[in-house]
Amino acid sequence: MFRHDHPATLDNHITVAMSNDSTTVTKIAEIIINELKLEDVTPESFDADLDLVDEVGIDSMDLATIALVLRDEYGIRIDEDDYPKLTTVRIIAAYIEDKLNSND
Amino acid sequence: MQSPQKEYKFSDIIADPVIRKRWEKVRRYFFLRESTYDMSNRCNIRCEGCYYFTGEKQFADTNSDPAAWRNLFLEEKKRGITFVVLAGAEPALEPELCEVCFQEIPLGAIATNGLKPIPKHIDYRMHISVWGNDQTSLAVRKAPDMLLRQMDNYKNDPRAVFVYTFSPVNIDEAREVTQLLAENGQQITFNMFSAPVGYNGHLRHTAGTLAHTRQVMTELLSEFPETVLFSPYNIIAHTEEKGLHELFSCSYPRMNPSTDIGLGRSFRQYRTDLQWDRDAACCVPDTDCGDCRHYAAGSAVVTARMYRHATDPKTFSAWLDYVDTYLAVWVRRYEKGDNLCPDPKIPPAQ
Repeated sequence: MFRHDHPATLDNHITVAMSNDSTTVTKIAEIIINELKLEDVTPESFDADLDLVDEVGIDSMDLATIALVLRDEYGIRIDEDDYPKLTTVRIIAAYIEDKLNSND
Repeated sequence: MQSPQKEYKFSDIIADPVIRKRWEKVRRYFFLRESTYDMSNRCNIRCEGCYYFTGEKQFADTNSDPAAWRNLFLEEKKRGITFVVLAGAEPALEPELCEVCFQEIPLGAIATNGLKPIPKHIDYRMHISVWGNDQTSLAVRKAPDMLLRQMDNYKNDPRAVFVYTFSPVNIDEAREVTQLLAENGQQITFNMFSAPVGYNGHLRHTAGTLAHTRQVMTELLSEFPETVLFSPYNIIAHTEEKGLHELFSCSYPRMNPSTDIGLGRSFRQYRTDLQWDRDAACCVPDTDCGDCRHYAAGSAVVTARMYRHATDPKTFSAWLDYVDTYLAVWVRRYEKGDNLCPDPKIPPAQ
């Protein structure tokens, strides 16, 4: 069902595998639904591959807010320069997992 | 030995009811997406250091066809633009075009010198530029009795906010201007002269004039809290020796190559021929980016850096004060609250 089943190149320097951890994906979807007050969608039904900017309509301030909630939830720091790369729930999940793994 | 600084969660910061209330107040305006438009290449005065008459945009053809402008604004709406800034050279000389814009996009502001009143049914915020007392204005802008005429044209007009641009030659005059506006029941906010590209004249700020400006702004904010729309953090952010780009990394297209999200994606600066150029696109084109402390730039650039300010309650309160000020200055009917952070905060690095 996923449109992306291969690694996604985020930029010339960072390559992050697409997350298949459904727990992280569902948690991020829940955060986005709560912060954006989205209706008619649940964390389980949220399409993790929707483009958050083009298809959900979030803007930079929404993303900054979500980044702060993710910081609380996972104890990670999200660089401002990385915001533009965080375009889907699945990419965000992969980014978080990458950050958590690099802290091990 | 210094104790390690406490690390706050964002949820801890906004658990404070005062902070949470202000946060909920400002975040309702996160839908604002701006672009700017030069409405005319004509002006009824000619000021030294004017950004409009610098660079190529002043030579663009003028399109005065209301139908063409309406079509542009309809397309802008489709693109997601929810806030317009009508500027250069003097929008008041094109009231019909301003009205067309207002009919299509009802939130916005007009940058005007205030010498020709803009019809009241164009219900945008009116930013009336002030460059000193009338003696200085006569010298720099070549127009007599400017402040008296501006105050008269916009008396009892809730759209109006006077924008005092501090330059090295008018710092101490801000007091008499603020006093006059206070007596007249009008409001003022502060801007910093930011040199156009290639300008090395006497209006460019130095370390000394920045410090002097900071002192005068602080005194005026304290003495005229009902008249001055500003905050302690605004003062710091706009009078540091480092400019806004160095402090906050400007997010306008001219300095930001990303087209993925935010201003880099949506902002355009249209010239009078209804064309725009990504390489020149920012709120005050042809400003020297290294010297930019412009109030319009800060409104977007400081606001965009919310994440780095969410480190502790005081720093986040300072950011909230800044955003609350920006909304009060730019959005009709938005009422500024009391400043939450009275202490000057050093702008945080990323």
